Amino acid sequence: MAKIGVFVCHCGENIASMVDTANLVAAISEHPGVEICTEYKYFCSDPGQETVKRAVREHNLTGVVVAACSPRMHEQTFRKACAEAGLNPYMLELANIREQCSWVHTDKDEATAKAIEITRSLVEKVKRNNELQPISVPVTRRAMVIGGGIAGIQAALDIASAGREVVLVEREPSIGGHMSQISETFPTLDCSQCILTPRMVEAVQHPNITVMTYSEVESVDGYIGNFTVKVRRKARYVRMETCTGCGDCIQKCPVKKIPSEFECGLGNRTAIYTPFAQAVPNVPVIDRSRCTYFKNGKCAICKKTCQIDSIDFDQQDTIESIEVGAIVVATGFQVQDTSLYGEYGYGRYKDVITGLHFERLASASGPTAGKIKRPSDGKEPETVVFIQCAGSRDAAKGVKYCSKICCMYTAKHAMLYAHKVHHGTTKIFYMDIRAAGKGYDEFTRRAIEEDQAGYVRGRVSKVFEQNGKLIVRGVDMLLGRPVEVEADMVVLATAMVPQPDAKEFAKKIGIGYDEYGFFNEAHLKLRPVETATAGIYLAGACQSPKDIPDSVAQASAAAAKILGLFSREHLEREPVVALVSDSTCAGCWGCVTACPYNAIDRRDITDRNGNVIKRVASVNPGLCQGCGTCVSFCRSNSIDLAGFTEKQIFAEVMAL
Amino acid sequence: MGIQVQFRKEAAELLSSGAVKLVIGYGEGSTPERRRPVFVRTPAETERLVLDGACVANLSTYLISEGLLSDGKNVAVFLKPDGIRSINILAAEAQLNPEQVVIFGFDIENGEARPLAGRKASDFTQVVEAAKAAGLSPELQKEAERLDHISAAERFEYWKEQFSKCIKCYACRQVCPMCYCRRCIVDVNQPQWINTSSHTLGNFEWNIVRAFHLAGRCVACGGCDRSCPVNIPLRLINHRMAKEVLDAFDYYAGESTDQKPVLATFRQDDPETFIL
Amino acid sequence: MSEPFEPKIVAFVCTYCTYAGADLAGTSRMKYASNVRIVRLPCTGRISPMFILKALQKGADGVLVSGCHPGDCHFAQGNYHARRRWTVFRALLAFTGIPEQRIRFSWISAAEGAKFAELINSLTEDIRKLGPFEQYHELQTVIETQSTY
Repeated sequence: MAKIGVFVCHCGENIASMVDTANLVAAISEHPGVEICTEYKYFCSDPGQETVKRAVREHNLTGVVVAACSPRMHEQTFRKACAEAGLNPYMLELANIREQCSWVHTDKDEATAKAIEITRSLVEKVKRNNELQPISVPVTRRAMVIGGGIAGIQAALDIASAGREVVLVEREPSIGGHMSQISETFPTLDCSQCILTPRMVEAVQHPNITVMTYSEVESVDGYIGNFTVKVRRKARYVRMETCTGCGDCIQKCPVKKIPSEFECGLGNRTAIYTPFAQAVPNVPVIDRSRCTYFKNGKCAICKKTCQIDSIDFDQQDTIESIEVGAIVVATGFQVQDTSLYGEYGYGRYKDVITGLHFERLASASGPTAGKIKRPSDGKEPETVVFIQCAGSRDAAKGVKYCSKICCMYTAKHAMLYAHKVHHGTTKIFYMDIRAAGKGYDEFTRRAIEEDQAGYVRGRVSKVFEQNGKLIVRGVDMLLGRPVEVEADMVVLATAMVPQPDAKEFAKKIGIGYDEYGFFNEAHLKLRPVETATAGIYLAGACQSPKDIPDSVAQASAAAAKILGLFSREHLEREPVVALVSDSTCAGCWGCVTACPYNAIDRRDITDRNGNVIKRVASVNPGLCQGCGTCVSFCRSNSIDLAGFTEKQIFAEVMAL
Repeated sequence: MGIQVQFRKEAAELLSSGAVKLVIGYGEGSTPERRRPVFVRTPAETERLVLDGACVANLSTYLISEGLLSDGKNVAVFLKPDGIRSINILAAEAQLNPEQVVIFGFDIENGEARPLAGRKASDFTQVVEAAKAAGLSPELQKEAERLDHISAAERFEYWKEQFSKCIKCYACRQVCPMCYCRRCIVDVNQPQWINTSSHTLGNFEWNIVRAFHLAGRCVACGGCDRSCPVNIPLRLINHRMAKEVLDAFDYYAGESTDQKPVLATFRQDDPETFIL
Repeated sequence: MSEPFEPKIVAFVCTYCTYAGADLAGTSRMKYASNVRIVRLPCTGRISPMFILKALQKGADGVLVSGCHPGDCHFAQGNYHARRRWTVFRALLAFTGIPEQRIRFSWISAAEGAKFAELINSLTEDIRKLGPFEQYHELQTVIETQSTY
């Protein structure tokens, strides 16, 4: 038999001035199953809570309704009080007669009648509440970071420095990401390599970090605290354990004319190579598709050269299975292919380059040793035109969003150019200068005022070659007239786009992505580093275009989230999760499709000989977040949500 | 060679080679214009198979009999395009393995049965595409529009009168290939969402819920309509649902064996004209 | 009729947005009609069409279903799923003669206390004009008389 205690709070005058609480108590006392109904000035106060606790003990209450404020205010308070009195905390409901009744109505009779109905309906609900126990999930206190750019490195270092193990997976032969390609960084102009390489070295030497380069995630199974990640370690054909990174093999490799990916094709590499001189780990890989030995079995000069026999042509890809409790996705971005702007001549004219090319030209370790030389003839350009938003903020041809970093790096490029070519001229075609950030606007002002960056507000319609010059034809919107600039080099500020395989990757690991392929956060404003899949976090430009400070901040935020998760051996979760009725589930898998959290799986029910009798849906309580979307989908009513069961809601509605 | 002779011959071959364990087709009915399902297990019995313009029932419903396909053996079945769509849905909803279903496809044109090329559900993609292109039934649409144009109160009275006839015999559910649930929502009594006695309120609830459950799943085979002993125009209400999902979500039930359920998926730009 | 008709309105809302919006209307002391009864659910995705039918059976003259704006769902996608269901269910109810004006849907965020208060007022006014949903409630009376046999 239900023994419900109902506690009507006056909230000082807040409720009592508009709701006739005596009347409410009288009406509810009559309701079947109500064992005790009392009123008090402040039930949330210590004496008030004591009253509730005493009543629970003395009357052996099976459920409690506190008619007071919003459950968003004091549900936890009274749950705790119930638990202290020995009643399961989920046997409590709050009847909201303050925010949704006394405060919003002006007629006392109406408000009282409404308060009675609200309370009665929750008495009916609480009669059908079930005792729930918090869900305890064991946590493997090891994290995986996918992507070894600055975001991934930062996240790995933060987690590792707090004493937890980290596996850092990078698909390229070296960690470092795009930041290692950058010359100098805005708004301080410190050299990218100088601030990045110490971090790279620290990561690889950190006792808590295992770096897996030239490796890719194959699959992710499991749920928060308990993921199993399969990682493919691609064959390097060089033994990591023994190679000293002396570089003799690279020197001797006869295949020398391969355009270097790291140098954006502005320099060459060999078939056995490290992507750049400061690569970490400093162990080369053999590019199988270019290596003469792999083509025809001849050559093997590297093998002969290597004094410690570290070349191994028989190496195979290996798959490693790694148990982790949380994952940071920091897979970064790509630069948009600019060929869609045929009118800018990218690909047609050698001296029309992207911002990333310019970074390599300006880099002291780049193909020109930091001298600005145009790719066609190696001459120093006298006039350089920069075109901003070459892809960004262009719904018709490029992407709709702002790539965020281009205004800043274009200003930086103009500055670097001015510092290196004192007599040079710059023209920057822009739509807006978006320089929000610490020291950012000052930086762009400096470019204009001290380094004579020639900003022209307007779009460029065409770039074409004439008498050995690149003619940039555009419009100056502020003067309201067309302009033509004779340039020696044109730099396109191309859009930041997701990695080409981002959507596929998101599906593989079970996170959401937007229309472009940027990964979706759980909540844009309030949960920007979590994904909808518990235990998987985001860092860096894989979520949206970001600069270095933002990427690093998000990486540290993700690390903090993970360290919070790892602070205990078991994870306690609200037991508001879905549950399947095995006997009635028809196995249509609609709930599996509908679940936003991939929390529902198929489960075989077998007889005692192991023969499959039927397959039913099965909710993983570690993943379920308790939205109940599956419940309303299920045609046979075979799935229910604890805390908001069909029975509870039915009773609540039928008591109205 | 006529289609009936051809199908009988092919059915006999399938049975004698052991390629299928059972052929579900049509046989003579109680009157010359009626056909009833026959279940043929031996080559000799194929002589009972009839195929002509009177073969309208959607036989796919027999495939969901519990245990029929669980031995992994194949079953052949006579199906019109609507039935083929049912197979697609049943496969998409994991109620059968389409590889186990051998389809004798046919369509009825001018009262004559005409064969459709193909044997597996996936062979009939073009047939289903053509059905989608041909659009929903114009007669039903005409009737639906007639109802749309009268007042809500009149419409309510119309359905009240129709549903008041319902005796909750559940023939509509029994004949429907989509009603494969082990326990129907109407049989749930904790809580009892739907009043089970056959008064009009309960009848309203039952018929509304059934129509909702068939949204994006009904192939308009008309089985419910024909089986209803009190002639409630069930096909009409299901048609209205099919129209809704087609117009709002470009969703046509049973397009393929991996089509996702319309109500378990969404698009961020789904129309929402009515939400304040 | 001597007294003006006071409609009964049942609102099914998600706890993260509309319920919080209704709380905000309260903390801001906005005033609105007392005709609404709120049933709190975790998410609009949990709101089954059955709830609407049961509310009508219990004498509701109007029903409001409300949750987070698209893109703002706490559960990321629940409201998108709900929107599809509503589209279909609303068409179905309209087709069976249950007036669209009686079953309303809205997006109300946790910040839109004023929108909540205004909507309840206008909804109450609209339903008051429509009058009691006798057509449906009569179906219920039939059961009650039948059950006395």
